[in-house]
Amino acid sequence: MAAKGGAAPATYSPSLTTSKEKRRAPLFSEADWVRPDGRGFHQCRLAFMRTAAVNSASGSAYAEFGNTKVMVSVFGPRESKKAMMYSDVGRLNCNVSYTTFATASRGQVSDNKDFSAMLHKALEGSIILESFPKTTVDVFALVMESGGSDLPVIISCASLALADAGIMLYDLVASASVSYLGKNLVMDPITEEESYQDGSMMITCMPSRNEVTQLTLTGDWSTPKIHEAMELCLDACSKLAKIMRSCLKEAASPSQVEE
Amino acid sequence: MGGLSTGEKNFINGGVAQDLRTDGRKRLTYRPIYITTGVIPQANGSARVKMGATDVIASVKAELGRPTAAYPDKGKVSINVDCSPTAEPTFEGRGGEELSSELSMALQRCLLGGKSGAGAGIDRSSLSIVEGKICWDLYIEGLVVSSDGNLLDALGAAIKAALSNTALPKVQVASVAADEQPEVDLSSEEFLQFDTSGVPVIITLTKVGKHYIVDATSEEESQMSSAVSVSVNRQGHICGMTKRGGAGLDPSVILDMVSVAKHLSEQLIIKLESDIAAAEAYEEEE
Repeated sequence: MAAKGGAAPATYSPSLTTSKEKRRAPLFSEADWVRPDGRGFHQCRLAFMRTAAVNSASGSAYAEFGNTKVMVSVFGPRESKKAMMYSDVGRLNCNVSYTTFATASRGQVSDNKDFSAMLHKALEGSIILESFPKTTVDVFALVMESGGSDLPVIISCASLALADAGIMLYDLVASASVSYLGKNLVMDPITEEESYQDGSMMITCMPSRNEVTQLTLTGDWSTPKIHEAMELCLDACSKLAKIMRSCLKEAASPSQVEE
Repeated sequence: MGGLSTGEKNFINGGVAQDLRTDGRKRLTYRPIYITTGVIPQANGSARVKMGATDVIASVKAELGRPTAAYPDKGKVSINVDCSPTAEPTFEGRGGEELSSELSMALQRCLLGGKSGAGAGIDRSSLSIVEGKICWDLYIEGLVVSSDGNLLDALGAAIKAALSNTALPKVQVASVAADEQPEVDLSSEEFLQFDTSGVPVIITLTKVGKHYIVDATSEEESQMSSAVSVSVNRQGHICGMTKRGGAGLDPSVILDMVSVAKHLSEQLIIKLESDIAAAEAYEEEE
């Protein structure tokens, strides 16, 4: 067995990958390095989005950005629970969950417990809550595979699902994040880049109204860098919103042909 | 604060628009800040901050622990906020949970920086004792005793004061064997002061109508459309930012708020640091 173990590293060795990761860390601090997936610093991952992923839901959407795969179902508007007080505006209920196999190590989800609240805050401003008084809309998001920048993908996908459900919206909400790695701003980071990041910024916005609904920032930033990161995020958001819009149009057009 | 009449709401909104708020302050004026340090004898450091009727306590407890495998040369810091039902009846049971988790998350974002610890107000590598073996675990607890708006800024100030009040016992490492957990001695006489020069202040700008104000009371907060909390350190760098409130904001307004917050932070840092020094001098006299 020992001899076999000694011969094995050529094809498979768990220790080899860890040493490789350790070598990557200083690499990020250098001025020019290549991103693990070969993208440019300001390039987003390819976005794939589809509506109507779940039949039983009022509206649903599936999004795949690189390895990040997210599904969101929207139920309602349905009657608020009896215990809730009367409200002349609608309620939004958001829940984000991870599958047990979403991350490399099982049960690593403790970082993400505030995602539900963040999703709620990001979407709240875009929904015309007055249009469904006394009722609740449920938004359930499931991350099937976590590949970095999970929250922006969840938020964009949820907004698409809300539109698919026919909930009245002021505008679609698109979201993007950048990581601060060494001296570079890196758009739409993957998990590996996120784990080495020195800072991050996430913006969710309604591009047609030019309004930011949610914004978080961590790490040490100078004002010019904030300006630059915001420009990048807003630009990515408006491009993503175009993709989302065309996705909705696509979903609507075949039914017209059938008629 | 659902109990405001239309007249009161108009009064607040009109006041903010005319740069004269209901308590006579201008838009960018703080309420008087009172700081007392060393209020909790059992903790390694503590402070109480009062801003008007807002009253918060922060305590820092330090324990010896093992560093995580991912960052063997860094200590661990956790920040938690508790909203007591004594402050407001709505905090009872699970009612305060949403607010306390929101506040804890915002404080973590503002004080702990990125995952690698870069840009953090609290330097986690200074908490390391023996790399990979022993480090300090700091438990920062915030308690809301009485709530009248602007909790995040008050908690940020209280944590800054509590950290500068924190004394960690000097650790003597007796033996370092390669595989064993080293033996340590905690000194009961020698203490190390915690370096707080990098700890940022948090400034929340609350948007009421077309204008934004600092240090909003809860009545004013009930009229807000959105609020942006910015944490700024002594170098004028932004260390964290969060937005509250559902309404959207124009990106240029956010950038404007950041520069206003940066400007205000200079005065606030000086004010807080002299207040903290005064509070500690008073504590030593006692």
